[in-house]
Amino acid sequence: MNDIRARLTTCFATVFPALEAAEIPAATQKTVAAWDSVAAITLLNVIEEEFNTQIDFEALADLDSFDAIAAYLSDRVAAGNSGA
Amino acid sequence: MTLTEALRERKRAPVDAEPFRVILACGFTPLHLSTFLAAHLQRRLPSRPVEVTCGLYGDLPGTLRESAAKNPGAVAVALEWADLDPRLGYRNLGGWGPAEQDDIVRQVESRLGSLRRVIEEVADAVPVAAAFPSLPLPPVFHTGSRQAGRAQARLNALAQQAACELSAHASISIASAQHLDLVSPPAERYDLQSDLFTGFPYKRAHASALGEALANLIAPAPPKKGLITDLDDTLWSGIVGEAGPEGVHWDLEHHAQIHGLYQQTLRALADEGVLIAVASKNDAAVVQRALARPDMILSPEKIFPLEVHWQAKSGSVARILKAWNIGAGDVVFVDDSPLELAEVERAFPGIHCLRFRPGDYASAEAFLTGLRDLFARKRISDEDALRRESLRSASEFQSRMAQQDAPEEFLRELNGSIAVNAQAAGDPRSLELVNKTNQFNLNGRRFDAAEWRALAASPGAFVWNAAYQDKFGSLGKIAVLAGKVREGKVLLESWVMSCRAFARGIENHCLALLYERTGAEEIIFCFRATDRNGPLQDFLARLLGRAPEAGARLERREFELRDLPLYHQVQWRES
Repeated sequence: MNDIRARLTTCFATVFPALEAAEIPAATQKTVAAWDSVAAITLLNVIEEEFNTQIDFEALADLDSFDAIAAYLSDRVAAGNSGA
Repeated sequence: MTLTEALRERKRAPVDAEPFRVILACGFTPLHLSTFLAAHLQRRLPSRPVEVTCGLYGDLPGTLRESAAKNPGAVAVALEWADLDPRLGYRNLGGWGPAEQDDIVRQVESRLGSLRRVIEEVADAVPVAAAFPSLPLPPVFHTGSRQAGRAQARLNALAQQAACELSAHASISIASAQHLDLVSPPAERYDLQSDLFTGFPYKRAHASALGEALANLIAPAPPKKGLITDLDDTLWSGIVGEAGPEGVHWDLEHHAQIHGLYQQTLRALADEGVLIAVASKNDAAVVQRALARPDMILSPEKIFPLEVHWQAKSGSVARILKAWNIGAGDVVFVDDSPLELAEVERAFPGIHCLRFRPGDYASAEAFLTGLRDLFARKRISDEDALRRESLRSASEFQSRMAQQDAPEEFLRELNGSIAVNAQAAGDPRSLELVNKTNQFNLNGRRFDAAEWRALAASPGAFVWNAAYQDKFGSLGKIAVLAGKVREGKVLLESWVMSCRAFARGIENHCLALLYERTGAEEIIFCFRATDRNGPLQDFLARLLGRAPEAGARLERREFELRDLPLYHQVQWRES
């Protein structure tokens, strides 16, 4: 889980360069102004590249915070569906 | 390039430089294409932050119409079938039956015609890079996917015809569909889910390939200027010193066609103005006999100079570079010997070394294509065709000049003439010279098309270029002067002159003309020292009597007191 959160932090830093490292674990779509629909897709695609996985567009609406994405990725690792 | 890499590339953009602005015109959601285009451009333009802006979704013509007024550095157009008729996309349910096919063809023809006109209007003001439909047509046609029926063939022909017509425009570059097919397999391009959910139709790998293709057109690598080739087992098959002039080959019959194709490529490059020289460890007399064979495809008059002896090739390369007066970074060196390549590369780290592999059919096609790409350019100018002959004449001039006891008399007898075009902002050669000249360059400043237009349109602006010829031949257009005249002063913002034109006193004449034609009493030089503008610095130091500094000034009376000899006739053209 720690490894997933560290790699996810890198993804957030890539997509939201203005976000301070300390702010990333608490980031949500409501608190990050730059997290619009385009950034959401970009973030999803960057996560796909980092974790060598495919994320369904249908899941996008629920992946609205750092914690939610980390939990989603942990579930996929547990199910053996990602390179994490 | 992955999306992550593209985003990181964007972060490397410098923050304190003038941005290079590009408008991306597409009918779909630009999403990652915009990111990849910006990232690939950023790699090519590391000293400037690249900004890519896009228009409204679904309004490709509107984006194009508004683009020129925003004065960008370039406009990139990514056209897809759905822009030409929404029924050729997957986000529209307008019908794919036989009743629609003829109407789709008519609609595509009409939309292509109007888009072509808009793109040409934009290109009259701004360079345009365009990619024609890269996605497969959807299953519209009753002939199925394996057969090109009339309607499908007609659609493809219409798109190709439009691309052909647009490519004739001097400021429009079209992405090669053949190259895109090689780097991005057509079956791996379309992303239906992304298209339906977001309006972005590309898989990321294709978006990167398309972004790179457009970036290459907008900011192409500077073409190499010269090629130095080995002879044995490179220009021909065999060792001429052992087999004799008649014993080396470059034809099908002797299974040496690869060498013939290489010669054919070099001949084409030479005809396009690329300098070709030979560096070979050989007996010079034997080589001369081989080169004189009537079946040589690369005829010897296209080669200058020939360095044929038994000394180190790095020495040969040094002498060739001196004769050409260009840097190693502008040159490709081709040899079949890894040892020779290593020796030259060690002596000239900037030179582009390529290994010729005789008999390696698997790599030969890529070798020839890669060679072509290193010298690729949008157009061939009159100056390109003149370059080799003018270098020969410059070399002859320099050697005669060195023998003169009275060089002033020699220069006067050249019967030199300078033809000045005083309205040269729109001449592509002007911007080309400014952006590629290093040694005699006032400040090393490069301009994109938008900056050049802005300079030419500013109050009091002038842009001149000058062509030169004398009894040794024509050098073509060799100098550009650009700046502004205000309150009796010339602010000289850009001044470049080809190294081929050195030592003839043309630079003195340029300054005399500036005073004479503008009526100015003073010239202010926007000078900046660069790593490579030593010849310009030396000239200004002699002229000013001191080391030049930014904003150096020279009054007319000081210039006239120098009483510099002006050897040349002047032809003046205002239009």
